[in-house]
Amino acid sequence: MGSLVLQGITKRFGKVTAAQDISLEAEPGRILGLLGPNGAGKTTTVRMIANILTPDEGTVTLDGRVVGPWSQEQMGYLPEERGLYKKIKVNNQLQYLAALKGIHTRDSVPRINYWMKRLGLQEWGARKAQELSKGMQQKVQFIAAVLPNPRLIILDEPFSGLDPINSELLREVVAELKADGRTILFASHRMEQVEQLCDDICLIANGKLVLSGTLREIKRRFKRDKLALAYDGEALFLDAMKETGDLQFLERNEDGCIVRLAEHCHPRSLLDRLLATPNLELYRFELLQPSLNEIFIRTVESQR
Amino acid sequence: MSRKSLVVMQSEFMRRVTSKTFILTTLLGPALLIAFFAVIVMISISAVEDTSQENESHRIAIVDETGVLNTRILNQDAGDHVLVTADLSSAREGVLDGRFDAYVRIPPEVISGTTQPVLYSQEGSGFGVRGTLGSIIERALEDHLLAERNVSADVRSILDRAVWLDTVRLTDEGEEAGAPEGYAIIGGVLGMVMYMTMLIYGSLILYGTLEERTTRVVEIIVSSVRPFDLLMGKVLGIGLIGFVQMAVWMLMFLGAMILAGPVIGLFIDPAMYDLSTTATTQEILTAANISLPHISAGLFIWFILYFIGGYLLYGGLFATVGTLVDSPQESQGLMIPLLMPMIISIIFLSPVIMNPHSGLALGLSLFPLTSPVPMIVRLSVTDVPFWQILLSYGLLVLSFMGSIWVSARIYRASILMYGKKPSLRVIVSYLRSG
Repeated sequence: MGSLVLQGITKRFGKVTAAQDISLEAEPGRILGLLGPNGAGKTTTVRMIANILTPDEGTVTLDGRVVGPWSQEQMGYLPEERGLYKKIKVNNQLQYLAALKGIHTRDSVPRINYWMKRLGLQEWGARKAQELSKGMQQKVQFIAAVLPNPRLIILDEPFSGLDPINSELLREVVAELKADGRTILFASHRMEQVEQLCDDICLIANGKLVLSGTLREIKRRFKRDKLALAYDGEALFLDAMKETGDLQFLERNEDGCIVRLAEHCHPRSLLDRLLATPNLELYRFELLQPSLNEIFIRTVESQR
Repeated sequence: MSRKSLVVMQSEFMRRVTSKTFILTTLLGPALLIAFFAVIVMISISAVEDTSQENESHRIAIVDETGVLNTRILNQDAGDHVLVTADLSSAREGVLDGRFDAYVRIPPEVISGTTQPVLYSQEGSGFGVRGTLGSIIERALEDHLLAERNVSADVRSILDRAVWLDTVRLTDEGEEAGAPEGYAIIGGVLGMVMYMTMLIYGSLILYGTLEERTTRVVEIIVSSVRPFDLLMGKVLGIGLIGFVQMAVWMLMFLGAMILAGPVIGLFIDPAMYDLSTTATTQEILTAANISLPHISAGLFIWFILYFIGGYLLYGGLFATVGTLVDSPQESQGLMIPLLMPMIISIIFLSPVIMNPHSGLALGLSLFPLTSPVPMIVRLSVTDVPFWQILLSYGLLVLSFMGSIWVSARIYRASILMYGKKPSLRVIVSYLRSG
């Protein structure tokens, strides 16, 4: 329950195409990371999923049914641009936001109590939102998103502005929700968080979907062309290889270096040469997996 | 109306109706309004007193060149003024050196009516004694002319008779005694209240919408509610508060009208009107010729209806302004075209009170952007033909439906746009986009 499918959705604002032919799927019990540089069309895509905007072309479906007012009650949304009513007490705001999702106060009150306690805010329910710190307000907004027990949870930059302790707390809660079988959409441009949390990845650039798949598969798709070396002795042939363009140094110090091999150079032949070099003792020879950050930068740059 | 509009309406209503501001303005509003009118009344009364100069005494020299009016003038009651006979040159000197405040020169031709007396003073015009002195001379002249012709005392008393008009307002329901000033005040108060409440509640919608946008809470809200339902809920919720406030004020007003008679009665000494000390309030008021204006239930109903209509018309437009700007300062510019018709209806408040059947009054009370204030004023001071009320209210209903339609479209398109103000062309494209 909660599988989200976007099929060829396009959204234009006047002459600007904010999203073009985007197709993706998010599965229950998994976290889909929606990545993209600023202005790539992430927010537009998320707003179409949340039924705030209607796509010009294509469809968004939740469990096979086109999204609409009905699906808004099945969805929790933590937008990137977010806030609370400053002068209303936290509990009252949460009751109001729950009521807008169709939850009666008698049902929302125990849920609010549970979540306020879970996120360490139990003392703050009777306070006005403006008395809370930014981090606390953010946790309140998170509660608003999970309060309706949604099948689909959309979190747009949920960690921005949180201290490490609260980030960890939130990460735990998100993991619980995932284990509980919710579909989670996590939009961000913080790669290390995406790498830690997500099972699947979609990368949007210039309004187009440029990369999608499981995190593992995507990482595998990108060649391990980075090599970490550590050795004792002199490996002068490396400099010669640099001159001919066979490799490039990314880092270099007394104990070794990190290099990127050119397309035509096989790591195996480099290993052979290192082993064959007299008076050189090799400690480390490791093909490094590209980080998501690198994949992100490389993919986005190749689009330009 | 959708269920979600109701949730929004309930939240808007509960959140504001329990606020200290609301409770204070509801209780203190009438007191402020009464104080406001009291100040105006006091200023106008003191202005009237100024012209008659009742409290100030002047020394005035009479230069009578007719030789027959002097005694008749000096014999009359000049109030606090002191009248002194003088010849021309000493009167002139006296005014210049301050012994006299003024002198009146009455040339002989005044008797034949070919010329007029002249008042000389250092102040030139605007001198308060002019009216008093004029009637003293007039009376002296009349006295002299009648004596010359041997007119008998009973003919004199016929000439002295004065007529004072009492007023009764004739309506379909019957006759209502009461001073026209009473109705004018009621018309003015109701007109002002209508204007103020439309403005106050319109602004509440504007600032409420603006707050949701500046705090960015709006994106969370519209992920649960259609913008149209949000707009409707907000407009109706805030309108309901206005309605409650109005109802409280009406009750206070009715209470005040019921209590007004006895309270006025307390300040009147029955002995002044040859009544016994046990006279009832009603007897005292009748003797003092004070009658309180009667206010019909119909007037109250129309007041509420026009408030609702005018509020809905402006409410939607104010909400739209809230979606088009990013700060209260920016909203000022867009408010001006909306406020113009409202201000016009207030500028013409007193012409409409004075002449409720004029073309101006009719025009203003039919045109929907201005109609609530002048129509309620007219309904307070006169009988308005039913077809005019019907036409005016029909136009108002059509306009507020149009206004809500337009507002909903602009609202929906611009509620999530921050930072850039849409041009008029873009706004028109919102309307076309459906």
